[in-house]
Amino acid sequence: MTAVTPSLERARELLREFPVVDGHNDLPWALREQVRYDLGARDIAADQSAHLHTDLARLRAGGVGAQFWSVYVRSDLPGALTATLEQIDCVRQLIARHPGDLRAALTAADMEAARGEGRIASLMGAEGGHSIDNSLAALRGLYELGVRYMTLTHNHNVAWADSATDEPRAGGLTAFGREVVREMNRLGMLVDLSHVAASTMRDALDTSAAPVIFSHSSSRAVCDHPRNIPDDVLERLPANGGVAMVTFVPKFVLQAAVEWTAAADENMRAHGFHHLDTTAEAMKVHHEFEERHPRPVATVATVADHLDHMREVAGIDHLGIGGDYDGTAFTPQGLDDVSGYPNLVAELLDRGWSASDLAKLTWQNAVRVLGAAEDVARESQATRGPSNATIEALDG
Amino acid sequence: MAALQDDLHPAQEVGELDGLPEPFPAVEAAEAPEATVAAEPGAPVADPDALPLERARAVLAAHPVADGYSGLPWALRRLSWYDLDTGESAVHTDVPRLREGHVGALFCALHLPESLDGDRAVGATLEQLDLVKTVVRAHPEGLRLARGAGESADARHCRRTAVLLGPAGAAALGDSLSILRCLHDLGLRVLTLSGTSWASETGLTRFGEEVVREMNRLGVLPDLTGASPETIRRTLVVSKAPVLCTRSAARALRPHPANLPDDLLAELGAAGGLCMVPLTAEQTGPTVRDVVDHLDHVRAVAGPECVGLSGTYDASGAHPLELGDVSCYPRLVAELLHRDWSESDVALLTWGNLQRVLRGADCAARAAQQRREPSTATIATLDG
Repeated sequence: MTAVTPSLERARELLREFPVVDGHNDLPWALREQVRYDLGARDIAADQSAHLHTDLARLRAGGVGAQFWSVYVRSDLPGALTATLEQIDCVRQLIARHPGDLRAALTAADMEAARGEGRIASLMGAEGGHSIDNSLAALRGLYELGVRYMTLTHNHNVAWADSATDEPRAGGLTAFGREVVREMNRLGMLVDLSHVAASTMRDALDTSAAPVIFSHSSSRAVCDHPRNIPDDVLERLPANGGVAMVTFVPKFVLQAAVEWTAAADENMRAHGFHHLDTTAEAMKVHHEFEERHPRPVATVATVADHLDHMREVAGIDHLGIGGDYDGTAFTPQGLDDVSGYPNLVAELLDRGWSASDLAKLTWQNAVRVLGAAEDVARESQATRGPSNATIEALDG
Repeated sequence: MAALQDDLHPAQEVGELDGLPEPFPAVEAAEAPEATVAAEPGAPVADPDALPLERARAVLAAHPVADGYSGLPWALRRLSWYDLDTGESAVHTDVPRLREGHVGALFCALHLPESLDGDRAVGATLEQLDLVKTVVRAHPEGLRLARGAGESADARHCRRTAVLLGPAGAAALGDSLSILRCLHDLGLRVLTLSGTSWASETGLTRFGEEVVREMNRLGVLPDLTGASPETIRRTLVVSKAPVLCTRSAARALRPHPANLPDDLLAELGAAGGLCMVPLTAEQTGPTVRDVVDHLDHVRAVAGPECVGLSGTYDASGAHPLELGDVSCYPRLVAELLHRDWSESDVALLTWGNLQRVLRGADCAARAAQQRREPSTATIATLDG
C-alpha cells in the first residue's frame, strides 16, 4: 500500500468515530459459490485475500462499522426463494461464528449499539424482487428473518417492476409493485432502487412514504450507465430523505470502462460466446481482446468525482457508500478490497470535505434512513394491517 | 440424553391433583351432550347425573387440552372474511369455542393440501406461517403465539390459547437444512417426516438422518404420523429428542394406514414419544366411546405418559358424534372419567405429556448446541 499521508492518518482517525456503513457486500454469494457455505473453508477470521475481497481484519482496517450483507440470488434461475433463505442462513451463521466482531443488527439503535461496542453491525439486504416470488407473505417472512432492504429488481425485470438492464415492460412499477413498496413501508424494510429502471425509481419515490436507498449506485451524469442514478432522481432525495450509496464497480463508474466493457462483450458475441461465458475457450478469446485493448483502470479519484457531483445535486445529507465487494470482479486502484475505504475518505479530505460532511457520508445518513423507515412503519401499522393483495388481483 | 429426559418425569410436572379447587364454576345443568349420548342407538346409558361433565370441566380448567393438530390455517385461506373473536360458523375453531373446550394450546398445521415441492412448497409454507401469525395478532385477547413449553404455559396463565406452529410437511424444507433453520427461526416446532426422497417408504436416507439431527439441535419435533415403519424405527434410534405422532390412533382397533400397530406403539412408548389420537371418524370411529377405546388402547400399550389428543379440526373429514368442534373436549373427558381414568392420567393426556415432550425437545436442543455446529450437509453430498 502507498505511503501514509497526513490525510490518510486523519481519515483513519475520523473513521474510528464514524465508521463506514457499507450498503452492499456479496460475501454470502461468494461463500455459496466458492465453498457451498463451508464457513470453515473460507474462515473470515483468517486472511482470505487470495479468494475474497472481505475478511474481518480487512473490514477492521477499512474502518467498516456496519455492513448490509447482500442475500443476493440469481434472477435468471428458478428457486429464488429457497436460495434466498439459504443466503440468509449463511449470514446468520457468519454472525454466530464471529460474535466478537459481528453483531446482528435489525434497527438503527442496534447499529449505534454495535458502534458503541466496536463490533460491526451486520444487516441483510435482498437483491431483487424475484426473492419474494410475488408473495407479500414471503416479503414478511424475509423481514422477520432480518432482511432490512430489498432491491426491487436485479438485472432482469420482475413481473411488477422494470430493471435498468432489461427491456421496459411495466413502465416502472405496476399496481402490485406499488403495493410491495407500501408493504415494505409498513414493515420498515428499506426500498432499494439500485438496479431498477429510472421509471421504477420515479414510481417508487412517488409511492414510498419512507426514505429510499440506492444500496450501490453512482451518478449517471458522471458516467452514463443504466446502473447509475439520473440527476432528476438524485434531486428528489432531499424531499424523500433517502440516501444514494456510491458504488465502486469500475464498469459503472468510469466512462472508459463502460465503453471497454461494451466492446469486450461485443467481441465475445462476435466469436459466438455469451458475454458472461467463463469457459476456457471463451476466456481465451477474452484474454486476447484484453491484450490488444488494455482494460481502463478506475481510481479513488473516479469514485470521488461521483461523490462530488452527487453531493452537488442531492446534498450532503443524502450520500452513502456501497462498495459491492465480492460482487464484482474488478475494483478501482486504492479501493481494491474492504480495507480501502480510508483512501476514499483521505481523497475527499484533500478535496475539502469537512469532518462533519464525512461523518454523514460514512455513518450518519445511512443510520438515519433506517431509523426513519422504522418511524414510518410504526405510523403505518397503526392504520394498516398486513396486505393480502396478490399480483393476480392487482395486475390482472 | 436418557438422563435429561428422566429429569422431566411427567408425574413431577403434573403434580398431585387431589387438591383441585372446589366448588367448580357453575355449569348450566349438563344439557345437550348427555341427551345425545342417551339417544344414540346401542350406546350404554350414560351417567344420568351431570357430575362427570362437571368434573371434566374442572379437570380441564386445571389441565387444559394441548391439541396436536388443527387445519385452521388452510381452512381460513378459503374464507374471504372471518371473525374468530365472536364466533365463526364456517370453521370448527374460534375463540369462544376454544375457551369452552378448554383448549390451552393448539398446533396449527402448515401442511399443504396439494403436493408441491421445491420453491413452491417453501413459498406456500411461508404463506401459511404468515397467515397463522396474522390471525394470532388479530386476536390478542384469545390467542398467543408460543414457541415452546414455557411460552405455552405463559399463554395459559394469561388465559390465552397458545398457538404453536406445525407440523409442516417435509417438502417445506426444499431439501435444505438452511431452510429448516429459517423455518425454526420463524417459529416452526414440528415437522412431519414423510413424502420426500429422504423420508420415504424405505426409511430415512443419510440426509434424512441429518435432518433429524439438525431438528434435534434446533428443537423441532419429528412428527411420524404417516411415516413408514422404517422411518419411524430409524427416527426413534437417531433422535435425541422425543418424537410425536400428531394424528395416529390404534391400528389394532381400526385399520387406517396412519394408525399405529401395537409393536410400533410399544416402541414409541419405550422411547418416550407421544401418540396423539385424532378425533376423526375415519381413524377412531363414529362415537365418543370409539375414541376412548383408542385412548384406552394406546395408554395400555404405549403408557399413560405417551398418549395425547389431536382434534384434527378444520382438516376435512368427519368427526365422531358429539365431538364436532373444539368446544367438545369436556364431553370426551367426561367419558374418560366415566371409564375410570384417574384425574392424573387425564391431566397427562390433555396437557402434561405434550409439555414433557416440548421440554424434552428444548433440553435436547441445548445439549446438542454444545456439541454440534449447524450442519452444512446437502442432499447432493449425502444421498447423491
